[in-house]
Amino acid sequence: MMLPLLVAGPVLILGAALALVLRRNADRALAALASQALATALVLLAVVPILAGGPPLVRAWPWSFPVEVVTLRVDALSAFFLAWSLPMTLLGTVYAVGYLQPYFDAGRNGGPHFALLNMVSLSFLTVYSVQNALVFLLGWEIAAVSAWLLVIWDYGNQRVRFAGFNYLVSTHVGLFVLVAAFMFMHSQTGSMEFQDFGAFLSRPSRGRVIVCALLATSFALKSAFFPFHTWLPRAHSAAPAHVSALMSGVIHKAGLFAFLRFTLLLGRPEEWMGWCVLAFGGLSALFGVLYTSSQRDLKRLLGYSSTENVGIAAMGFGVAYLGLSWDRPELVLAGIAGGLLHLFNHALFKCLLFYAAGAVYRATHTIDLERLGGLLRRMPRTAVMFLVGGLAISALPPLNGFVSEYIVYSGLLAGAAPSRPANVALVCMAALLAFVGAVSALSMTRAFGVAFLGAPRDPSVHVEGDAPPLMLAPMVLHAAGVVVIGVAPGAGLALGRSVCLLFQPRGFELTEAVLTSTLAPMQWACRALAALLLVGCVLGWRQGRRARQHVTWGCGYTAPNARMQYTASSFSSDFLRIFEAFLPQLRREHLPREIFPQEPGHLATHSVDAVERRMLEVLWQGEHFVVQTSERIPEEPRFAFGAGLVALLVIVGLLVVGAVR
Amino acid sequence: MTAALFLAHALALLLLPVVIVGVINRVKSLWSGRRGPPVLQLAYDVARLLRKVPVYSATTTPIFRLAPYVVLVTAVVSGSIVPLLGSRAPLSFAFDFVWFAYVWGLGRVALMLGALDTGSSFEGMGASREATYAAILEPALFLVAGALCLSTGQSSFAGALALRVGGGASFVVWFASVVALVIVVQVETARMPVDDPTTHLELTMIHEVMVLDHSGPELAAIEVGAAVKLTVGISLVATLLNPWAGSASWALAALANVALCFVVAALLGCVESLVARLKLRAVPQYILAAIIAGGVALLATMWRTGGEG
Repeated sequence: MMLPLLVAGPVLILGAALALVLRRNADRALAALASQALATALVLLAVVPILAGGPPLVRAWPWSFPVEVVTLRVDALSAFFLAWSLPMTLLGTVYAVGYLQPYFDAGRNGGPHFALLNMVSLSFLTVYSVQNALVFLLGWEIAAVSAWLLVIWDYGNQRVRFAGFNYLVSTHVGLFVLVAAFMFMHSQTGSMEFQDFGAFLSRPSRGRVIVCALLATSFALKSAFFPFHTWLPRAHSAAPAHVSALMSGVIHKAGLFAFLRFTLLLGRPEEWMGWCVLAFGGLSALFGVLYTSSQRDLKRLLGYSSTENVGIAAMGFGVAYLGLSWDRPELVLAGIAGGLLHLFNHALFKCLLFYAAGAVYRATHTIDLERLGGLLRRMPRTAVMFLVGGLAISALPPLNGFVSEYIVYSGLLAGAAPSRPANVALVCMAALLAFVGAVSALSMTRAFGVAFLGAPRDPSVHVEGDAPPLMLAPMVLHAAGVVVIGVAPGAGLALGRSVCLLFQPRGFELTEAVLTSTLAPMQWACRALAALLLVGCVLGWRQGRRARQHVTWGCGYTAPNARMQYTASSFSSDFLRIFEAFLPQLRREHLPREIFPQEPGHLATHSVDAVERRMLEVLWQGEHFVVQTSERIPEEPRFAFGAGLVALLVIVGLLVVGAVR
Repeated sequence: MTAALFLAHALALLLLPVVIVGVINRVKSLWSGRRGPPVLQLAYDVARLLRKVPVYSATTTPIFRLAPYVVLVTAVVSGSIVPLLGSRAPLSFAFDFVWFAYVWGLGRVALMLGALDTGSSFEGMGASREATYAAILEPALFLVAGALCLSTGQSSFAGALALRVGGGASFVVWFASVVALVIVVQVETARMPVDDPTTHLELTMIHEVMVLDHSGPELAAIEVGAAVKLTVGISLVATLLNPWAGSASWALAALANVALCFVVAALLGCVESLVARLKLRAVPQYILAAIIAGGVALLATMWRTGGEG
């Protein structure tokens, strides 16, 4: 069964080449779509048996120096990620055809863009299956560079170029750290094979700690964990909607995939690692969600919410780490199943939300919440899609976000830790997760309420109509997934079943049947809720048929206008005041004076990223320091200074090596 | 037997809200020296509202029309999780309080979206406040539930609320949980000192301002939903106070629970009559008290078993 997987790669490359050489945009799109559809079908053919519990696929070829042998190994973990990454990229490409239509009408060549989307799929094939660190880095780099080129589609815009460059630098800092980790392991094992890395990683040593820290940093940068997230809101706000969706929902899940891959190699982690992963995930979820509450750019808001959701998934993985170190299989099961399902759910609803945001942008040419309003009347289909995604991302039953968070909760609240303080700490993390969920509901209510409800705020914004079918179809499919997993969580769990078995500690045979039986009542409760909501809404709708129409009650004021509505910033101002220590806001104001003001006043608030601000400050101070120091260096004895630097490097290097040995 | 119990539960969920709202209002009117409305006034109001024709603002969309029914359904569904009659709940499963909290969340989101749909700045203001206070309140409920689960070894709401008080530390858990839950109920159901259900100044309202534009059957749905939510919240506190909760004699437990519900309602009425509404800026501090109480309850669980084992 390895053959379909091997054919998929060349098919994608052929599609990319065709997209580059064909003359008409329609043909280019067709080439990309056809090749991706074929590759998707081939990949599903290969991975579905593995997910159903089949044996992993392994294939090795001799290769020339320096790789020597390329091993492909598709186990349940790879299969899980492959099973949805390629189909979702295909849907993204379908959306791209609709979304980029105005550019094509203006004569823009879409070939490279479609070719790059194919390359993204190719990078999934590589990253998720190879077992050699060098080839892995190659796939990693293909993904990073393709994503960068996809982001700067609108390269004529300086803001977009800056965002793209920012992303490129960040992702390569991550690559640099990853290369360092791989080189370190190479120095210890003399090999670049993951299998040999595993032999090194499974023995507790000081070297293992360093490698784990390096790997975690790199993967955190890739998946945009707090505080490594600074590139993300910029890139997501600048990129075309389908690129933001694919980056947030699919491409950057590679970081978490790699994290899980190395977790498998690690075997039994130490307890403090589990606490670190849990705390790091909690921190990410908390700050990600706090930032969503203050954004006025819809896509920036969704970008921050990615940081939140990978944080929630990491909390699940943290629970699993603790379960592994305590030999508590039920914790491992809940953590891994919850985390994996949340990753998948996040891909479903985040792509949906980005697609809807893209449809808003296409129709209005703005995604500034303060200028939107009343869109539900003008683009009802997009609005419904956004509402479904927003409810799901706020983890409200009966949609899919709740299912995965519930599984993570079941790990945190199980009281399965060996000591009381550990149990208390886990409950505190559950309370944190509850806070994250509630703030997420606030942010999504705010985004949906301000953009789609009420009256239009800015008369200069014209709405060009609802999303065309090519953009709507991917949204409908994603929304269907969101609802199906919400009312039938078993479907989502079945996808991750084999992966959960991979992570079970040796000697414990706990199947996902345990989880299914825990979930069963919740599942019925969700279904009952869904049915009752349906019945209630139908009955209620009938009640309103004989209604009269009037204007909104203005509380006695008879001349309200649309500009007086509550805005996005006023909606979150109460909340921001409580958390102003974490959410800096730049405020420029010139308020009107006197009873009859002579000159007009103005007020502008701008929420900035505290981490980015601090980082730039530190960089600026560092530059200042270097400039000052270099001015003090005497002109003449350059040789002595150079020799001193070399000596310093050697000493530091020796210290590092000594610390490791 | 079980069927009879669940039938009784459903009946209680249907009747108690009307009486509990009536009791609170009666207590308030007694304190202010009036005779007050009849105890069943809510039922008369609902009957009157159901006969009316709703009025929709021209700004609104179907969201506004459906939101009240989502509020009603979520409130009723959340009532099936709590042990209204002391011993058992019709719907009880592991970590059902997570589900409970998020079902309340769904109702809240529907109410806020309905408010934002009118395009009224006052209703937006109410929605903003509701979202803010609910967000910071959420950890309190989870801290209490987590503490109760750890100290009882149960994982469902009905099991965890039947906490047996024995010894100093478990008394701390119990007392801190009661305090935290009372604040949770006050904030979630928009009672004094957080929100004044009888105020007529839009700028100071939270819950009432969000329903300004609803009328007729929809207003009835919201009123009933709010009353059910209040009952459910009060019954949480009552079950925790109930010394016979979860015991074998379910009739005793049920009687005690219903009686305690009325006592808690009367106490809430007294608080509303005697305490002034907090300044809006002080509300987050009041909520912080709930979180601290929840934290104390959680820490006390550690102390107790740490001492024993």
